[in-house]
Amino acid sequence: MDLPKKIAEATQEIFETMIMMEATAGELSPETAKTFHCTVSGMVGLAGTFKGMLAIHTPNQVAMAITSNFLGMDVDEVNEDVTDAIGELANMLAGSIKLALSDKGRDITLSIPSTISGEEYTISCVAETDRVIVPFATEAGNFCVELQVEKEN
Amino acid sequence: MGTKVLIIDDSNTMRKIVQRSLRQAGFEFEKILEAGDGQEALDLLGSESVDLILSDINMPNMDGLEFLRQKSQNDDIKDIPVVMITTEAGTDIIGEAKSLGARGSIKKPFTPDQVNDVLGELL
Repeated sequence: MDLPKKIAEATQEIFETMIMMEATAGELSPETAKTFHCTVSGMVGLAGTFKGMLAIHTPNQVAMAITSNFLGMDVDEVNEDVTDAIGELANMLAGSIKLALSDKGRDITLSIPSTISGEEYTISCVAETDRVIVPFATEAGNFCVELQVEKEN
Repeated sequence: MGTKVLIIDDSNTMRKIVQRSLRQAGFEFEKILEAGDGQEALDLLGSESVDLILSDINMPNMDGLEFLRQKSQNDDIKDIPVVMITTEAGTDIIGEAKSLGARGSIKKPFTPDQVNDVLGELL
């Protein structure tokens, strides 16, 4: 399965449909651990036949621009609206990826989204997983979508 | 239109987006009520009457499927139409929601036109 392509398509559909912002997918990142600075990350866990995590990592200015477009209002700080919007974005992405990973999303359960924001934090793989990080460029800056999956044997 | 709608979603952002999409789709409601999960919605429906419910599925405390189950057992509210607005649309969960009484579903992400297509048949 071409996971990077699925991630790119799902991300672009959401950005075109609900955020009214163009997001262009770039080359895959080879990183195995990633440190984020002044970023908001939205994450949703996957359980069942595919275990793992879907995350979107948005630098603060990109997170604010996404939220502003999402809600149709000016946003000038990383507040609850911003973390909620990035969490919901992760939720929608996870829903699309779930359908791509399994026929009709069968046997995959999604967690409630959670968010992390801060000046510096690192997210690493803790198990044997396939990790795909797809970078995107927008007029407000760059962000990336990350998928970690461990297929059940 | 003179109708009232209840939007159930744990995301404040999504509740706002749904409201905006309803306006963009041309729907005007006398009152728009909001709840953050199924239990909050049931509590609200104890004192407020609505004509339509738009509900997420994947929520903390009480999810959309359990809300449908409990609603179906309450004679006062069981006939209020419910449309699921969820990332789970297209999955088996939607089949379960419909078996519990949901009248339709809208997949996130969605456009105002898609909202209009589904709700236009109910309102």
